[in-house]
Amino acid sequence: MLNYVWISLIVIGILVGVGKDINDEVRNTYRNGVSMEATVQVSKTPTALHQTWEGEIVIPEDAFNQFYGIESASSEIRLPVVMTTASSGRTSLVILIDESSPVFWKEMAKKSGSKDRLSGVVHSIKFSEDKSSAQISFLLEKVNYVKARAITKAALDYADTAVTISLGLIGVMALWLGVMKVAEEAGLLRVLTKALTPFTSRLFPDVPSDHPAVGAMIMNIAANMLGLNNAATPLGLKAMEELNKLNPKLGTATNAMCTFLVINTAGLTLIPATAIAIRVAQGSADPGVIIGTSIFGAGCATVAGLVSVKILQRLPRYKKDLLIDTPPTEVKNG
Amino acid sequence: MVELFRNIINIISAVAIPLMFFTFLGWGFVKKVKVYEVFVEGAKDGFQVAVKIIPFLVAMLVAIGIFRASGAMDVLIALLSPVSSLIGMPPETVPLAILRPLSGSGSLGLMTELMKVHGPDSYIGVLASTMYGSSETTFYVLAVYFGAVGIKNTRHALPAGIIADIFGMLGALFICRIFFGI
Repeated sequence: MLNYVWISLIVIGILVGVGKDINDEVRNTYRNGVSMEATVQVSKTPTALHQTWEGEIVIPEDAFNQFYGIESASSEIRLPVVMTTASSGRTSLVILIDESSPVFWKEMAKKSGSKDRLSGVVHSIKFSEDKSSAQISFLLEKVNYVKARAITKAALDYADTAVTISLGLIGVMALWLGVMKVAEEAGLLRVLTKALTPFTSRLFPDVPSDHPAVGAMIMNIAANMLGLNNAATPLGLKAMEELNKLNPKLGTATNAMCTFLVINTAGLTLIPATAIAIRVAQGSADPGVIIGTSIFGAGCATVAGLVSVKILQRLPRYKKDLLIDTPPTEVKNG
Repeated sequence: MVELFRNIINIISAVAIPLMFFTFLGWGFVKKVKVYEVFVEGAKDGFQVAVKIIPFLVAMLVAIGIFRASGAMDVLIALLSPVSSLIGMPPETVPLAILRPLSGSGSLGLMTELMKVHGPDSYIGVLASTMYGSSETTFYVLAVYFGAVGIKNTRHALPAGIIADIFGMLGALFICRIFFGI
């Protein structure tokens, strides 16, 4: 299943992205190579040092909408603009994009890589008699293959993020593995495990009830309940390692592993700390109001997950994965 | 009542970790375990485990990143919108429901955005934060937990996890409609 989901995410993603790019290219959504007319109200004329005009670019909303074939601009466009004449005689312009800019231009600025500006070349400038305003005709920089670029960037960025996240675990991971090792040697996990045997033996019938895996799983579930994310992941990974010691076919998940994983993905917690923190930050009058509703929601998820994991593990297609008919694939056991 | 519950949980959460260190290590010392040596022995696996997760997490996050960046996510949301209106889910919250199992940071951003636009105490604000609190980032948990022990064939873990996510979202919608619905 994961194979299919994984390849679907990538293939569908790339196909949709390329499709959008082709669509943009054919319809010339961003009007690449088409000149636009505008009025510039000049506020600063060039000095001996800087060959720049500063002012405000003005485009009536109707002209803007017509140019791009859209309907989203609802008021006259007025944005700061800087025009610079180089020694070659070429005049370039930079339009500064802010919050109040038309959505379409904001998108274009984002897609061209620099969030707060659009740049282009000015073909012709006609100043009015008092030089306080000018009629210009300009060409904005090309915007193309937007999605293809976005996909490339996302792939590289996320690969980086994955490493950052993994390496970020080293410290807490080491800390908890150390503490757990001491608890194990002291026999503390066995005490904890015994108390919850009736509960755990039903959930994980394949795991001997005095196995260290049970202790680690209980600790992980307890940490999740209390919202101790820093402790929950290392404890969960410790539990997975212990479960893997009981795994007859390395590289393939056992029933107990799947059950344990589903409990974790359902994310039952007594205090949804992150959501509450954001509610506080957003000025909620009653940030804690979601405690009850979240417990209910995650409770539904947990029950549904456990029921489906127990049903699915009986299906022949998942049962046959457990058979050791071929030599187990080479996986180093941790 | 809710306030009291919250306070109790807050206190437990605050002291839980120091208390665990104290009991575990203290108990070990009493039981004559060579605490320092055993601790270091256990801790040395930390690096290995973290490094082992990397390929699994790269595979997972890159696929999700491509899916989101290409706009395929928006297409999926558009396709699912008619279904959501059938079950009475506000269309604004559909992207959050779909993103929740895929990306932790992405769904956190969406939830914040929804609260900013509609207000944290509005129906949509409460529903969004409940939806966020009703599930975990399934794909991330799957990659990290199975990655740590080199599991490549995940069998029925993903379908079961997704069923759990769907019921989590439906449960959140159900309870919020009863208590906060219009």
